[in-house]
Amino acid sequence: MLILGRINNMENIYYPRQATLKNIKEETPTIKTYRFKLDKKLKFKAGQFMQLTVPGIGEAPFTPSSAPGDVGEMEITIMKTGKVTDKLHDEVKVGDTIALRGPFGKGYPMDKFDGKEVLVVGGGVGLAPLRALIYALFDKIEKIKKIHICYGAKSPADQCFKDEYKEWESRKKVSVNLTIDKPHPDWKGRVGLVTCLLEKDYLKKMNADIANSYVVSCGPEVMLKFVTFKLLDVGFKPEQIYLSMNRRMSCGVGKCARCNIGPYYLCKDGPDMCYADIKDYPNVFG
Amino acid sequence: MNIYFLDDSKLSGLMRILLGYGRVFASTEREVASNRNSQSGIFVRELTKEYLNSYRIPGFRAFDNFKSFVLPARAKVADYPDEKWIDIKKGKDKTILVGLKACDLASFAILDKVFLDDADFVDPFYKKRRESLILVSSDCTYSSDNCFCNLLGNYPYALKGFDINLSEIDGGYLIESGSSLGNKVLEGLSLPDAKENQISERDKKRKKVLEKLQKTNSEFEKAFSGPDILVSGAFDSDAGWDLGSTCVSCSACTNVCPVCYCFTLFDREGKKKEQYERYMVWDSCQFKGFSQMAGGMNPRFSKMDQFKNRYYHKFFRFFKRYNIYKCTGCGRCIDNCLGDIDMREVLSGAYAYSGKNK
Ligand SMILES: Cc1cc2nc3c(=O)[nH]c(=O)nc-3n(C[C@H](O)[C@H](O)[C@H](O)COP(=O)(O)OP(=O)(O)OC[C@H]3O[C@@H](n4cnc5c(N)ncnc54)[C@H](O)[C@@H]3O)c2cc1C
Ligand code: SF4
Ligand code: SF4
Repeated sequence: MLILGRINNMENIYYPRQATLKNIKEETPTIKTYRFKLDKKLKFKAGQFMQLTVPGIGEAPFTPSSAPGDVGEMEITIMKTGKVTDKLHDEVKVGDTIALRGPFGKGYPMDKFDGKEVLVVGGGVGLAPLRALIYALFDKIEKIKKIHICYGAKSPADQCFKDEYKEWESRKKVSVNLTIDKPHPDWKGRVGLVTCLLEKDYLKKMNADIANSYVVSCGPEVMLKFVTFKLLDVGFKPEQIYLSMNRRMSCGVGKCARCNIGPYYLCKDGPDMCYADIKDYPNVFG
Repeated sequence: MNIYFLDDSKLSGLMRILLGYGRVFASTEREVASNRNSQSGIFVRELTKEYLNSYRIPGFRAFDNFKSFVLPARAKVADYPDEKWIDIKKGKDKTILVGLKACDLASFAILDKVFLDDADFVDPFYKKRRESLILVSSDCTYSSDNCFCNLLGNYPYALKGFDINLSEIDGGYLIESGSSLGNKVLEGLSLPDAKENQISERDKKRKKVLEKLQKTNSEFEKAFSGPDILVSGAFDSDAGWDLGSTCVSCSACTNVCPVCYCFTLFDREGKKKEQYERYMVWDSCQFKGFSQMAGGMNPRFSKMDQFKNRYYHKFFRFFKRYNIYKCTGCGRCIDNCLGDIDMREVLSGAYAYSGKNK
């Protein structure tokens, strides 16, 4: 039987390309930012993700935290949590070779943000993918009305990208709003879950224009759930909310059939989904 | 397309020609131990020269599905960092599958949607294997109580998707080609045209099997009239799905299913230093670990959610994405379920429940 496939050159969608680890930066006791040099330039959009292979161990999906574009190097910020990430944290050294597949997924809907305010709401390691978004927004800041960065971490020691907040805040149209979960002797800022930055009063203080905003959020599933409910509560519409949904992934290319919400595959249609598109499907927040 | 008559005595001649193209794997009836009598005793095995003369095409689908010819249970998909490595040998060797039923052919059309017709990512391994297949199908001469292809728009005989199709009639088979390769094979046999009475005999036989199927499944027709709407509508509640409570998450259903293709990738060290291999292995949504994530979070935590996911994927998600239900109605999952679960009854249960709530 003759089949007319779309590609004649046999590109192997499962093959990971080599990359060299150039630098490791410790963000928190469990989170590190890794800088990789790629064997070939690649183009990625903010929000698209990569499959990272620790040779012989396996693959796991991560969204780069560095600025998107046509890049020869990229940063990925990774929390230690299992097979692949343990190996990375404990054994992989600068100069070692790992492998990468991707980019996959759609990425954030950057065009929608033109003329709007963008609330970037992160929790824990969830600020990593959002950092790529923040850089992409900085890059077209003339088209953006305002950027409100809202970030929650467990404690001051658990904050990612600490040394960058000042620079972000010094930019025009940008506000940085931080909170930690519980009071801590070294912390003079706000205390409370990240949702406290989304209270009506606080949004007013930030001068946020709810009707003219989009929200992009990334963090643990429970956080996304409470962030979403809070946003709806203070007057955002489901259409204004984009969530970086998390599902287990294996192939990253819409075949292995596990990273789904309703009819969608996060690897192809996401991983960021508009809440309006998914809200009526079962088990959205687990 | 022309229909010819293949005398019984010429079947081995056909098989011999097919053997000239490559290895032949045929659905084959054989004696089985008495405790397995409930199963058909029809299995797929390699047809070698010594079995040529005794080979008969069974009238019913095999116990085995044919998906492993395009998606082996375990297959190497990368050898890194060797970018050029691609497993499949070049060359003209074909794999010939004989005795497929219409439901088996339908399964390839479904798998093609995912692995071949995807605008973004074509699976090169699937593509190569799929292109190397020669499909020789045959009509069902009987059905079982668990067959329900008719509920999914299929027939117990093939109308498309084959290279060659055979329909058993008195004294032999009606044979027709569905591709240029099929034409070539048939030319080699120089067969007489089928007579009109032979064609009407075939049509009568086909009708009889179809009518039997329709009778067997008449009580389930309603539940299959729009399973996408049904499954999505009834999903939120566990009520109506209680037949699933005997599921023991064994994954027999997904393994025997000709269109369940979920897999996982795993890596290991190769034989050489700093050489690694990646394998694709069958997985199953019936396992809890299938969608388990960090911190124990799992969007399909309960066993019932895993059970329902199989239905949701087959009749809702897949339909929404590819505009076709991911089920051929072959009934293998019913034959093999350890929990004695009948997909038709489950959907009917959900149907009855959704009816009560509207
Ligand atoms: C699109 C996407 C982007 C991501 N971006 C980042 C990122 O920038 N930084 C980061 O630290 N993490 C990110 N994650 C989560 C990361 O993929 C998982 O933490 C990682 O897969 C764990 O792999 P492991 O082999 O170390 O753990 P495993 O040994 O596989 O498992 C450890 C635990 O993690 C679970 N797990 C496996 N896959 C996932 C998954 N996809 N999501 C959540 N848990 C999973 C396992 O089930 C288990 O409970 C992202 C996930 C997705 C889907
Ligand atoms: S779900 Fe059952 S009946 Fe449908 S194709 Fe799979 S095994 Fe056959
Ligand atoms: S075969 Fe039956 S018992 Fe086994 S996983 Fe499937 S539905 Fe459950």
